[in-house]
Amino acid sequence: MSILNDISENLQRGKAKIVKELVQQAIDEGIPAQEILEQGLLAGMDVVGEKFKKNEVFVPEVLVAARAMNMGSGLLKPLLAEGGVEAIGKVCIGTVKGDLHDIGKNLVKMMMEGKGLEVVDLGTDVDPETYVKTAIDQNCQIICCSALLTTTMPVMEAVVKEAEKAGIRDKVKIMIGGAPVTEAFCRQIGADKYTPDAASAADTAVAFCRATA
Amino acid sequence: MTERENFFSLIKRTGYERIPVLYDFCPYLQETCGRKVEDLYREIGFTPCPIAYAAGIPVKDSDTEKFRKYYGILKEGTTIDIYGVANEPGSAAAMHMTHMLHPLEKIKTLEELEAYPFPEFVWDEEDVARQLARNNALKAQDRVICGSMQCTIWETAWYMRGMEVLMMDMMSEDEMAEFVLNEVTELAIHRAEYFVKTGAEVLYFGDDIGMQHTIMMSKELYQTWLKPRLKRVVDAARAINPDVIIFYHSCGFVEPFIEDLIEVGIDVLNPVQPECMDFAEIHAKYGDRISFHGTIGTQTTMPFGTPEEVRAEVFKNLDIAGKKGGLLVSPTHLLEPEVPWENIRAYIEACRDYTESPS
Repeated sequence: MSILNDISENLQRGKAKIVKELVQQAIDEGIPAQEILEQGLLAGMDVVGEKFKKNEVFVPEVLVAARAMNMGSGLLKPLLAEGGVEAIGKVCIGTVKGDLHDIGKNLVKMMMEGKGLEVVDLGTDVDPETYVKTAIDQNCQIICCSALLTTTMPVMEAVVKEAEKAGIRDKVKIMIGGAPVTEAFCRQIGADKYTPDAASAADTAVAFCRATA
Repeated sequence: MTERENFFSLIKRTGYERIPVLYDFCPYLQETCGRKVEDLYREIGFTPCPIAYAAGIPVKDSDTEKFRKYYGILKEGTTIDIYGVANEPGSAAAMHMTHMLHPLEKIKTLEELEAYPFPEFVWDEEDVARQLARNNALKAQDRVICGSMQCTIWETAWYMRGMEVLMMDMMSEDEMAEFVLNEVTELAIHRAEYFVKTGAEVLYFGDDIGMQHTIMMSKELYQTWLKPRLKRVVDAARAINPDVIIFYHSCGFVEPFIEDLIEVGIDVLNPVQPECMDFAEIHAKYGDRISFHGTIGTQTTMPFGTPEEVRAEVFKNLDIAGKKGGLLVSPTHLLEPEVPWENIRAYIEACRDYTESPS
């Protein structure tokens, strides 16, 4: 349907106002909210995510696309709730205890929302207990930990241990990322997945949620 | 060669006699290792980097309380700088790290921006003469005078406006981005001119434009918004002293921007993180036109390598740079608490040994 293509294309160009108008028009035309979300907004974010992974677009392009998505999805949310449409999965994300950097973490959150995931943002300086308690209380399938510093990377291992202690390790996937973090470190601490960029993190999170659905 | 001659000759790639030692400690390491460095100096002798920092430009109104109205309730212990940027302390585990808050983040109109109290700099000839005399005295003691201007344009602007908001303003070609970046550029020009007038012979610029594996923004966005403004600051400094040496810091992967930086007139690129860029490749491509500062990884070798690996990395990179120099070899960033003393010692000894007893 061409209006959904128009939504996707305008979203990719970060045209927030136009996206909002087109989403309203699509609603008025009687297109189901879930269809507008998936074939318009999320389809557009998919293209942006792929281009980001290939270094064809960069953080600013992602930011304006995400802003456009939020403008559009704001109109859809009440309709989706009415129709009982649920997110494809739930993630809690935060920067680990002792680390106050949040630019990368925010980007991952944005990309995950762009994939239709529900994201609980715990902010920065998050202790292991908070990740685990949130995952239990809010029924999250994934815990995402970010760290920019070599000083704070070890806290990621404490999150893994905390999840084991709480008995949820087999129910929750733990993903890690941040500038100094590596695949080898991920294996060493027993986390489930390291991803080198925000778009890959979002893809991985979706795959985990689909596998457990 | 005197220390000054050695430093400038190394930076200008015309040979050197000694490798200057240059690093920054976090407060914890200063406390635990500061004394050990002094003892090591007495024990083996090495060449400390001769850089001495010049005093910055005086601010007309240094009372930062006026910025509180741009925030909600701030945590106890929060500091606010002259640009109005607030830094809140974290938990005890965060040690010296702080969480930055941006005073212009929620501003919606150009009128509100225009009303914002950007810092004003004031100085007179007497003040310039006093600083010049101080700096000349340091030069007479074989020191090199440096004006520290990290957070030159882009980072100062993003610290004030918030990175996400400023990037979106730039993407929308919003006049608010134009306004903030122009204001900050004018301030940077004043800072640079003051430093050069008071005798700084090195200016240390810096604005992060790289991420770990990619550039932070497209080349087009950079060339439209940031490059011309950086050139204005460089040109203003060189109009007073055409020989001033300009260092430029950006974390991360910045290879696509190096040509732009050379065009703008940058002399030395820092830190060339080995986790993000291959120094041998970068040197082969650009080493005849730009020098380098850094190259010893603080995400890898310094905290997690062995002393032997630290030494090997220092020697390897100095070999790549060659006899002309062009590499002020040092850890890429501030050394954080987990860096072992043995590795710090290995770095210092490697710098000394490279020219004294190469192996």
